[in-house]
Amino acid sequence: MNYFTVDVLTPEKIVAKGIPAESLLIPTVRGQINILPHHTHLINKLSTGVLTIFGGADDPDLDYSISHGICKVLEDRVIIMSHTAEECTVIDESRATRALEHAEAKLNGGEPLTDEELTKYRRKAERAKLRLQLSQNKK
Amino acid sequence: MANIKELKMKIKSTKGTLKITSAMKLVSAAKLAKAQQAIQSSRPYAEELDQTIKTISALVENYSHSYLEAKPGNQMEALLVISANKGLCGAYNSALAKEVRKYLAANTDKEIKVFFVGKKVKELIEKEVNFGKMYEFDKTDPSFLELETVGNELANLFLQGEVGTVKVAYNQFNSAISFTSMVKQLLPMSLDLHEKATLEEKFPFDFRYEPTPAEILDTLIPETFTATLYTSLLDAVAAEHGSRMASMDNAVTNCKEQVRTQTLKMNKLRQAAITTELTEVVSGAESLNG
Repeated sequence: MNYFTVDVLTPEKIVAKGIPAESLLIPTVRGQINILPHHTHLINKLSTGVLTIFGGADDPDLDYSISHGICKVLEDRVIIMSHTAEECTVIDESRATRALEHAEAKLNGGEPLTDEELTKYRRKAERAKLRLQLSQNKK
Repeated sequence: MANIKELKMKIKSTKGTLKITSAMKLVSAAKLAKAQQAIQSSRPYAEELDQTIKTISALVENYSHSYLEAKPGNQMEALLVISANKGLCGAYNSALAKEVRKYLAANTDKEIKVFFVGKKVKELIEKEVNFGKMYEFDKTDPSFLELETVGNELANLFLQGEVGTVKVAYNQFNSAISFTSMVKQLLPMSLDLHEKATLEEKFPFDFRYEPTPAEILDTLIPETFTATLYTSLLDAVAAEHGSRMASMDNAVTNCKEQVRTQTLKMNKLRQAAITTELTEVVSGAESLNG
C-alpha cells in the first residue's frame, strides 16, 4: 500500500508533522476533495471544515477542525497551512459553546459592527459550531 | 564596632538582592525557552508560506496586489515599534529607542507616525515623535489573531493611501545574549523575483490551482504580511527574555562579587579589632608585671 505524509501547520504551532496517510479529505472553497497517493501537484484554498486523515490499517484516522488557509500537495507530501487547526479529540466543548454564544451575541447585539468585525465574528461562530458538531460526533 | 555592623547590614541587603536577581534570571530562562519554542513552531508555517508565494508568483504572469504597489508620491509613513512592557532587561529598550531616533533623524523628509506595542519605548520617545496609537493586549504576549487586528489596521492605512509605507522596528533575536535593533519594511511588499529562475528549475511542472492562482495569491499575500509581523513580534519577545536573562546574570555575578569583597573587608576590620584588644590586654598584663 502506498502512503504519503501530511503536515498541519498554523502560525502558532506545528499541529502535526509527517503523519502517514493512505487517503485524505480536505475542505476547500470549491467543496471537499480527496487526496490519494501520487496525486498531481496541487495548491488549493481551504475553507473552514474538517480535515480527515485516513491512516490505513495500522494507524488511526485523525480529524482536525481547520479554518481558512492554503493546502499544497507536492510529491507525496501534503502541507496544510491554516489559521487555526485543532485535533478533534482535544476540543474543549464548554469553550466552544462559550465562543459560539459570545460570537452570536455580538452578531445579534444592538451594537453596530464594522465589516471587519462582522467577518471576524461570523468566522468565529462558524468555527465554534463546527467544533461543537465534531465533538458531539465523537461521542 | 559600628563600622562592622554597617558592613553586616550591607552584606545582608546585597544577599537579598542576589536572591531576587537569581530568581528573575531563572524565570527569564524559562520564558526564553518558551519563546524560542514559539519561534521554532511558527517558522515552518512562515517558510512554507513564503515558498508557496514565490512558487505561484514565479509561475503567474502579470499579477499585482494592492499590498505590492508602491506609492511613490506618498511621504507619510507608519512605524510600528515593538518593545517590552517591563524594564530590567539591560539595553533592550534603550537600544531600540536609539535605533528609532536614528531612523527618524535620517528620514526627516518623511512624515512618520509612530505606533507602539509595549510601553517602555513609548515612555522614552513618545514626546519627541508624531504619536499614532498604542496597542495593548490582554496578555503580555499577543496571539496571532490579536496581532492580526493590529496588522489589518496598519494595512488599511496603507490601502486607503493615508501612508505610503509601513515599517516595523524591533529587536531581532540572535542568541540568548545578543540581539540587533532593526527597522524592517512591511508594506509595500516586494516579491523577490531574483529567485524566480531557480524556482522554475526546481518546479519544472505547474501546480493545479483551485480556484485560480490569482485568487490564491490574494489570500496568501495578506497572510504573509501578518505572518511577517507575527515573526517580528516573536523575535522581539525572545530577545526581551534573552536580554533580561543576560542582564540578570550580570547582576548575580556583581552581587556575588560585592558580597565577597564586603565580607573580606568586614573580616579584616574584625581581625583588626581583635588584634587591638589583644594588644591592650597583653600590654595591660605586662604593665602589672613590671
